[in-house]
Parts: sequence; C-alpha cells; structure tokens
Amino acid sequence: MTTETLLQHASELLAPFAKASNNPESNRLDVQITPGDLPAAAAALSNASWGYLAAITGMDLAPEINELEALYHFCDKAAITTLRVHLPREDQPEIPSISDKIPAASFFERELSEMLGVTVVGTPDPSRLFLPDDWPTGVYPARRDFKIEDAAPVPVVRKTPEPGRVGNRFVVPIGPQHPALKEPGHFEFSVDGEVITGARMRLGYVHRGIEKATEGRNWIQNLYLLERVCGICSHTHASAYAQGVEKLAGVEVPPRALAIREFVAGLERIHSHLLWLGVSAHEAGFDSLFMYSWRDRETVMNLLEELTGNRVNYSICILGGVKQDIVAEHTETIHKSLDYLEERIRYYLDVVTTDVTFLQRTRNIGTMSLEEATLYGTLGPTARASGLERDVRVDAPYGAYSQFPVTMVTAERGDLEARFVVRMNELLVTCATLRAIADNLPAGDIATRFPRKVPAGETVSRVEAPRGEAFYYIKSGGGDSPVRLKIRTPSLCNWTSVLNKVVGHQLADVPMLIAGMDPCFSCNDRMVTVHRKDDSSTITWAELRKYGIEKYKRG
Amino acid sequence: MNYSQNYVTQLMEKITTWARVNSPWAIHFNSGSCNGCDIEILATLTPRYDVERFGIKLRGSPRHADVLICTGPVTRQARERLLRTYEQMPSPKFVVAVGSCGISGGVFQGCYNVVGHLDEVLPVDAFVPGCPPRPEAIIDGIVKLLTHVQNGTRPEPIAKPVSQEAV
Repeated sequence: MTTETLLQHASELLAPFAKASNNPESNRLDVQITPGDLPAAAAALSNASWGYLAAITGMDLAPEINELEALYHFCDKAAITTLRVHLPREDQPEIPSISDKIPAASFFERELSEMLGVTVVGTPDPSRLFLPDDWPTGVYPARRDFKIEDAAPVPVVRKTPEPGRVGNRFVVPIGPQHPALKEPGHFEFSVDGEVITGARMRLGYVHRGIEKATEGRNWIQNLYLLERVCGICSHTHASAYAQGVEKLAGVEVPPRALAIREFVAGLERIHSHLLWLGVSAHEAGFDSLFMYSWRDRETVMNLLEELTGNRVNYSICILGGVKQDIVAEHTETIHKSLDYLEERIRYYLDVVTTDVTFLQRTRNIGTMSLEEATLYGTLGPTARASGLERDVRVDAPYGAYSQFPVTMVTAERGDLEARFVVRMNELLVTCATLRAIADNLPAGDIATRFPRKVPAGETVSRVEAPRGEAFYYIKSGGGDSPVRLKIRTPSLCNWTSVLNKVVGHQLADVPMLIAGMDPCFSCNDRMVTVHRKDDSSTITWAELRKYGIEKYKRG
Repeated sequence: MNYSQNYVTQLMEKITTWARVNSPWAIHFNSGSCNGCDIEILATLTPRYDVERFGIKLRGSPRHADVLICTGPVTRQARERLLRTYEQMPSPKFVVAVGSCGISGGVFQGCYNVVGHLDEVLPVDAFVPGCPPRPEAIIDGIVKLLTHVQNGTRPEPIAKPVSQEAV
C-alpha cells in the first residue's frame, strides 16, 4: 500500500472520532480527538492492524493558551498518523489509558504522567520511570514554566526492604547496576523456585533531562548534545535530528552528504552489532567469541577514526551536510577492511548456528511469535527475528537509502538464535551497501549553508538505529532553539517484550534474554542482590552469570 | 618500636604496595554516562589493548575492587548508589573519573537531573579527559595513578571525603 492509501485508510478509521484533521506533511495525518474518544480511536487503529504506536509526545502549549497536548504517533511504513488530544493545564488533567489494547503504551504513559503531570487513568503501573526518587511531587519538567529550583530534592521515605518472600514466591531485585542496559535499570523478578513468574522495571539512573536541555540551547549546540544521547549509536541521533531540522528549515542536503551519512550509519551498525555479539557471548560464558568479535570490531573503529577523526562520537553530521569527505585514498582501506570483516562475520554466523554449547543457551530460548512481537510493539532486529518486517530504511527510505537500498533481513523462529542470525546477516547486507556507496559516491558538495533560525513548524524524523527505529518529534517556534523535542529510542519499545517474555523462563536465562534484545549496552559486571527468606544475601552479577553457565553445564 | 618490628612493618608495606600496584582490580560504575566512555573502558579489556597483561581486572563486586572507574556526570538517581558502591570498597581505594562529564558535567551541565561532576560527590584521584577518552588514555590514567601509589606520592584527592551522613 502506498502512503496515500494508508493515510486514507487511517482517516476513514478515525472519522467517527475526528474533531478536526489535516495533513501537515505529505506522509502525515493529524487527527484532533477528545480525551474520552482516545481508547476507542486507538483501538480502531490497532484492530485494523494499522501500524504500531511509535511514541507519545507530551507537550505544554504556550502558557497563555493554558493547555497541554498529548500526541499519540502511530507509524505504518512511511505513513504517520498522530492523534492529538488537548487537555486543560490546571486541576490535574486526566487521560484514559490505552495500554490494555496496546501493551507497548505503558512505558510511554508512565513517562507522560511524570513529565507532564497528566494522570493516566487505568495504566497498569503508574510509578515513576525516569525521575529520581527524591523528586518533589507536583513538579513536571516537560511543562514550560518548570524551573530547576523547584525540583530541589525532597527527603525520600524509603520503605523498609521488601521481604524476599512474598506469599509463596521470592522477589529477586536486579540492578540498578546491570550489564545489559544503556540506562542502568532496576528489575524485580518474582520467582517460584527457578522459574520467573513476574517482572517489573524502573529506569532513570542515567536520565539526564536531555529533552528539556534542548529547549535552552540553539539548533547547532543541540546537534552535539543529542549525539551524546547514546555513545554507541551517536550518529543515529545526530542524523535523525539533522534530518528533521533540515526538513523544517527547507534545506536541501547535497546527495554526497546523504551518502556519507548512510556510510557512517553502516559502519556504526557493524561496530554496534559486533559489540553486541561479544557481550551476549560473554553473558553465555563464551568469552573467546567475546574477545574475537571485539578484536575485529577494532577494524571498524579504525575505519571510523580514519573517516571522521573520532572513534566514538564521530561528529560527522552538521546541519546541512557532513563535516568530512570520503576521498579516493580512503577507498582502498574501506574495501580491504570490508573484505576482512565480511570473512569474519561469515565465520561468526557459522559459530552461532553450529556451536552446540552456545546453541543450548540460544535455541528455543525466549521464543517470540510474530503475534507477540506485533502486540508488544518490538522494533529492529528483535522484531525482524520474529518475522515482523519493520525497518525504516526499507519502509520509509530516508537520506540516501533510496539510492543505496538495503534489503530487509528477517527470520521466522523468533528465539535468541534467530536474533543472532538476523544481526549477522544484516551486517553482510550492510557490507555490500557500504561497498556500493564507496564505489559510487555522488559528486558535489558535502554541505550547504544552514540558517541560524528555523521557521515555525513541527516534523517527525525517523531513522533506523542498530537496535531499531529512533523516533524524533521536533517543534520549532521560529526561533534559534526548538520549542519541544521528543526522542523515543528503540530500547524503550523492546523492554515490554522482554518483561513479558521472561515470565516462565529460568532465572539463569535472564542475562541472555536481556542481552538478546540488545538494550543499549553499558556493559560490565554489575551488582545483583538476591533476597532469600528473611536473610538477604548479596551475589554479584558475575556470580549470577556463572550460575547460569554452571547450570547449563550440569545439563 | 624496636628495630625488627619496624623492619617487618616496612617489609609488609612493601609487599602490599607491590601487590596493589601489580594487580589493581577495578569496578566500573556508570553514573549517567552516554555509554561512549563505557565501551572504551570495555575496549581496554579486549585483545588490542588488553589491560589484563598489567594485572588490571574488572570485577563485578565493589568488595573486590581497589579502583572505582566512574563515567558520566552524576545523576540524582545514581548519586546514592554511587556513594553506596564507594562505601563498600575496602580501603585504600582510588577513584578514576573517565571522560569530560566526570570532570565538569560536560555537555550535560545544567540538566535538571544532573547533580554535577564526580568530585562534588567522591574524592577523585585521577581524571582522564576526552569525550570519550581513547582506550590508551584510560590506560595511561590508571598507570599514572599506580605510579603515584608505588612511589607513595599519592596527591590529596581534590574533593573532601564523603561524610557518613551523605550516604
């Protein structure tokens, strides 16, 4: 279906609820609805399998309007439908929850309520997700009149530690320090013997308040700030932001710059997937593979350093183009490095599909069916391993992806093994695309002039990060800094699937299950506390990992 | 103290310093980092840089660690956990701040959930600048710290030590 027919379909589905609707961009449909109609409207889209809920943006409109707005963005291929709900600013506004129909919404709703001060009625877990424990109640950072002085820490009433035993099960808290998270997170797993019966999580240990910070910095400063949302997929964030702002400013980026952006994104994908391969192999106790893949990852790091000057935060994107060119003398190094990488990736593909010990930890573990993957709103390789075809590079080609396309790699089985296979195959596709770009780089400039101020307007920018779709909503008021900038990273969407999938699995499988979705790794040995009956003993993450390995050794 | 007792104490001190310098165990704590420094720290363990040849080993438990390697600015939610991790380490303990954020708050200065840079929270022995620092720089930072430990010329940490009430 084309974007037009998709939008047409959405507009028919939403017609009974629409108070007003318009098309702000050719691929977007905005529908104004009342808060009461929200569950029905969301159900209409999800019952018709129209796309997935990509993000909820909460926005404080200008103080004189005295209104809040919640934007529910649904994406299907390149089409984006936004349900816009206006809420009064005073008297603790309320909005009904949609997470009974769309489980993926629960994280977004928790974020909406703590950031904007909207009560989400009926959301399964209304506790804090990002803000610290000592945050005062009634202070909402996403509101326009938020002042940092208002958020002075309040004394925390700490509950006495929950007894390990609740009814006839134990609660195992894991984190906040944890190997498999971008943000060190905190999990509570309820276990019955070895089997997990429930899971909860809390984030916010590395929440810095970047969305709010963008509002106080100008368009160019924000580029460098947003690059540091994540040190692993920094180029993804820089290019998603640049792409959105360029769209708002109406700036045409030279094709050579777009191709270079795609090239760096490809290298970033290789380094990120090799990093993930190493760390998940480490979680399974396969340290030789960890060391091998990280050794080979240095090849990509060399290449990135040669092309951009930096190993990690490349800073190659600037508004209106890129900073550095790929010149003829780079081509030979590129091909030589890719030759080596392709050979190694084929070898890893062989290892992860044939090594018997490793397969014990991955085959038929964490199997997620296509229906479940769709229900939980998974993204990226996690979704594609279950046969769910979601890849922004293919669905809605941006930048140079229409000129240098990639093919979508999917698998059927949906277990951990499938996720390894999908990621490795994806790298082979990426290598082929990188060769094509290096050989056929469009001629011309690498950057164009960019204005200091960006005209008023709002846009959505989507980019495929190594872990899935990164979603940016950018609103400009015509000044030299954004009015609202919303970032939704892929890991947040994939969490729902992990929290649901761990139920029924062995505690020993937890490290692998968490690693399997590749939450932005901030990898290291972390603390795990295990409470047993009334005596609580502390074991380290390393010991839990070892326990997992030992358990499988015993057979 | 008679001569032989003094000799034994000195010898013991020499041995512990020798052991400490030749096999420092580290724990890594991410107190709000973007992951850039964290992957570079991990890269120092892997074959190209391989710090294990110097006896440096990353441990999971603070109770096993001599050196606390911190990345990122300190966020409000991570602050208390960071202090608790530090408190659990046996003395003598050393703190290395890796990356610009630990030095000044870096790009996240002024964000609402950021307490500030690392030496506002912990006494820091060594700072490694960079965004992120290269693995070589991280190794160099730790080696500089160890040289001071070996020569007994450890400078006074910049911040005041943590008080018990703060935890």
